[in-house]
Amino acid sequence: MYVQIRDLTFRYKNSDEDILKNLNLDIMQGEVISVLGQSGSGKSTLLRMIAGLEKPSKGTIIIDNKIMVDRDTFLFPEERGVGMVFQDYALFPHLNVEKNIRYGLHSFSKKEQSKRLQEVLELVNLTEFAKRYPHELSGGQQQRVALARALAPKPSVLLLDEPFSNLDADLKGRIRIELGRIIRQSGITSIFVTHDQEDSRAIADRVVFLESQNHKSPLIKSL
Amino acid sequence: MRFIKVNLRFLNVWSIFSFLFVLGIIFSNLLVFTSLFQAPSENWEHIKEYLLADYIKNTLLLITFTGTFTFLIGTSLAWLISFYDFPLRNFYKLAFILPLAIPTYIGAYTYTGLLNYTGIVQSSLRNYLNYQVNPKLFDIMNIGGAVFIFTLFLLPYVYTIVSSFFQNQSSSLIETARLLGRKPLNILLTILLPLARPAIIGGVSLVVLEVLNDYGVVKYFGITTFSTAIFKSWFGMGDIDSAIRLAASLLIIVFFILTLEKMVRGRKRFDSSTSKLRPITLQKLSGYKALLAFTYSFLIFSLSFLIPILQLLYWSLITYNNVLNNKFWQLLVNSISVALVATCTIVFASVIVANFQRISGTKLSKAYAKITTFGYSIPGAVIAIGVMVLFISLDRKLFWFYNIVNPESAELVLSMSLAMLIFAYVIRFLAIGFNSVQTGFEKIGKKFFEASRTLGMTTTKTFFKIDLPMLKPALVGGFVLAFVDVLKELPLTLILRPFNFDTLATKVYQYASDEMIPEAGVPSLIIIVVSLISIFLLNKMIMKEEG
Repeated sequence: MYVQIRDLTFRYKNSDEDILKNLNLDIMQGEVISVLGQSGSGKSTLLRMIAGLEKPSKGTIIIDNKIMVDRDTFLFPEERGVGMVFQDYALFPHLNVEKNIRYGLHSFSKKEQSKRLQEVLELVNLTEFAKRYPHELSGGQQQRVALARALAPKPSVLLLDEPFSNLDADLKGRIRIELGRIIRQSGITSIFVTHDQEDSRAIADRVVFLESQNHKSPLIKSL
Repeated sequence: MRFIKVNLRFLNVWSIFSFLFVLGIIFSNLLVFTSLFQAPSENWEHIKEYLLADYIKNTLLLITFTGTFTFLIGTSLAWLISFYDFPLRNFYKLAFILPLAIPTYIGAYTYTGLLNYTGIVQSSLRNYLNYQVNPKLFDIMNIGGAVFIFTLFLLPYVYTIVSSFFQNQSSSLIETARLLGRKPLNILLTILLPLARPAIIGGVSLVVLEVLNDYGVVKYFGITTFSTAIFKSWFGMGDIDSAIRLAASLLIIVFFILTLEKMVRGRKRFDSSTSKLRPITLQKLSGYKALLAFTYSFLIFSLSFLIPILQLLYWSLITYNNVLNNKFWQLLVNSISVALVATCTIVFASVIVANFQRISGTKLSKAYAKITTFGYSIPGAVIAIGVMVLFISLDRKLFWFYNIVNPESAELVLSMSLAMLIFAYVIRFLAIGFNSVQTGFEKIGKKFFEASRTLGMTTTKTFFKIDLPMLKPALVGGFVLAFVDVLKELPLTLILRPFNFDTLATKVYQYASDEMIPEAGVPSLIIIVVSLISIFLLNKMIMKEEG
């Protein structure tokens, strides 16, 4: 399995209740998984643990045979090679589109950087917007820049946190199709989190349902 | 015509009062400039030829180095506190604001007393370690020493502004940068510092303006700057004309800095693409990194607060018997009553100008607001000169009237009275009250005001029934800040106080000048304690607002 998550448990420092408990999940390479759940079900926390932004209280995450976290190991986010698109996109406001994307390419040579930049810009259809600043872009364009930036360093896994929550309803349909296309085209293993069943079904190969911990039902149901 | 019409519509009590306050500010500053067009005196030629270069050089050295050091230390502290968790972090978060309570001149006297031949450092080395040090090593009465003092006690300006900026950022920005493979120090340099540039420049400009305003430190250390030169021409040579010319030159430097600030700050606004979904999560430091952060913080806190306070406490203990006499109570009453009158006027004026601006929203009212905040950028010595000239000419114009009231009246009445000093305080610190009140108005918004108007209340009635009660926290905040600033003010007070009128601040200055530094302990501590109380009060209010 490409991504293996075993017995993943998370609890906030000041809380005595587990947000996630003994979660197990396997993902094949190139698979697009959608994690569906109510707010508070811990779905964003799951992404943040895969990214290394939160430390699980228990459990293992292995990506491409590399241990990200287990009892003895904890790789920092900058060491994981995982891409993430944040709910608020988190584009660096003082850098233009090109520089935002280049930011993650620091280990590439100058020539490779330019090549990769062109590739991802074409992928997200924003070639003419390279010199624009984030505030000069629409919400949908900003999202595509965030996507391009996350994809540029060729991460092992792409994580998307509520990718449609910041968009107008009438735009959503079109952008959903576009996002689906980009992810398929790049062939990257992706996990995205949402609370909207329709979003899930539209893009994902497989939908994973995450239930809130206070229900005693099984944690994960494949739909 | 339209302009006049629009403004006539708003011609009421608010506009008239606003106009009067603004007029006062403009007048006292314009008068300084008019001197530039008059024939200079002989002294001026001398000053220009031999001294001016020195004033400029010293002033530039002081602002450059103090600006650089406050930037480096203030920003690094803000970074540590905003993003990392280490031992005593929560304590330091507040502790780095505290040096604001210590006026720079008190810091200077304290460190001089601490480090001079009879001070605790040298005498301990001598008596306990039997070690004779080269006194030159501990001599801080030079430009380097002044930079040291300014940096320590003006640090909070940069620290508070930059850390509040950092804390308002969305944590996803930093998290993204990490996911893209960047290390913390790299993120600081590539993301955080460029983003914080306006905040940093804002903080450093405040520091620079404070340095230009300073008189107490440079005078004591024997460094000739514009402030000391203005005093010397006025009191030493009795040459008002040269004093005014120096003031005008200093004012030009201030304008230059304000323009520079606007330019470097840049017009680009970086706020539209980020939302604040997730507050910054602190990263826990461990091992040597935690130790390093703790030690660095402890060093700065000790130097900028703990050590001077302990020294002042010690001096107060050995001198309070001599210092606390009837005269001292008179001093206290003087300080507090003058500060009270000035602060009440400041708050009153702030409310009027801010309300006028809010209601009318015309260009004119916005200009008023700009002018109102301008006073804070002008060094005390310059305001002092402007106000002095204004009051003397008023006295000359009013002499006929004095004669009617009292045939034996002297020519100078107003300019010999406390009114002049209070007027100067108001001009200098109006910005502080005004900013507070304006922020308060912005928070309330206009909808309550409009609702009240539609329910049949006039502007003024609405103000008393709706606005004023809602504005109370902002008024208290503005009052406290302005009160403390007036209480510790030195250069204005020294120039403009009536004969034999002393305040806590001038007494501290006098003790230090008379080589009686330990005696300055008690009045210094009183100023510091009042400032501390106000800091805690404001902090509590801010916490309450943030929930």
